Amino acid sequence: MADDEPSVNIPSLLTFAVVSFFFIRWFFNRNDAPAGRPRGRGNAVDPAQVEQIAQMFPQLNTREIMWDLQRNGGSAAATTERILNGQGLETPPPSFQPQIAIRSPTTMATQATSAAAPKVDGQDLITRYNLSSKIASENGADASAATTSSASSWSQNKEERQRLLQKRRDDMILAARRKMEQKNHEN
Amino acid sequence: MGSSIAQKRLFHEYKNLSTNPPEGITAGPVSEDDMFYWEALIQGPEGTPFEGGVFAAELKFSKDYPLSPPTMKFVGGGVWHPNVYPNGTVCISILHPPGDDPNHYEHASERWSPIQSVEKILISVMSMLAEPNDESPANVEAAKMWRERRAEYEQKVRDEVRKGLGL
Repeated sequence: MADDEPSVNIPSLLTFAVVSFFFIRWFFNRNDAPAGRPRGRGNAVDPAQVEQIAQMFPQLNTREIMWDLQRNGGSAAATTERILNGQGLETPPPSFQPQIAIRSPTTMATQATSAAAPKVDGQDLITRYNLSSKIASENGADASAATTSSASSWSQNKEERQRLLQKRRDDMILAARRKMEQKNHEN
Repeated sequence: MGSSIAQKRLFHEYKNLSTNPPEGITAGPVSEDDMFYWEALIQGPEGTPFEGGVFAAELKFSKDYPLSPPTMKFVGGGVWHPNVYPNGTVCISILHPPGDDPNHYEHASERWSPIQSVEKILISVMSMLAEPNDESPANVEAAKMWRERRAEYEQKVRDEVRKGLGL
């Protein structure tokens, strides 16, 4: 009797699996479709990008901007880079029919305006960069290499660069502080 | 794709600023792992109440830099200045994108465009410290003081300069 009505049998499981497979596939494809827009033969050009570039380079022809945007897959950054490099834009062939996409969310919307300002505590630079120990040691050595001119500094090594930048920063602050202290003594 | 162009450009600017730094300016990424977050030091211009001071600011770049300008904000001590918001955010024309001119007084040529650079921003901010723009104050109190009670304004700035250096 139990054999007659199993609650789950093989065929129904299989049917369920096949149906869900197709459903899931449909579901993800549906999400993918719009994401693939800027690639391949994404013929439409975003008018916001065209306008953005036209504003920066008013001497350029809109058709040329659209042609370049269409060919590089809609990257305003790449077009700008190209213009700035002095390569200039190509003249589009006469057959070029720009298609303007109507897309509301412009790429500009991602500006770094995270205006949620953290507290501006009245923190001085010495505390901020942890320089109090250096001030102490400097007073001992009495500013021997007072102005080791922190001129140009660059290294091929990433850590070394970081270190050089930090040193220039610290030197600048300490030198300013030293100068200010001297001025106080004179007065 | 766009962000790698931005990174390349920022790295290039970083290198230029390090090998050939303008007088009184130090700037670079806080860590090269994030090229979109920089810190800069600016010296107070001579012959102004800011003279002798050093001011730290953070610069935040968007992924589509140099299409859009970075934002710049003084950190640490406040900078008492008509064109600096009380929270430290700097308000000058070079930091405004070309399309956007809420005040209708800035010339397009003064505003941000990809031919500008971090160096030009920092130099502009330096001259802004020397010569406030009274037309659109970001800090109304400071602007009022600068206009009406100049001596008091200068004294306050001098005090903050010293405080900023931990003196």
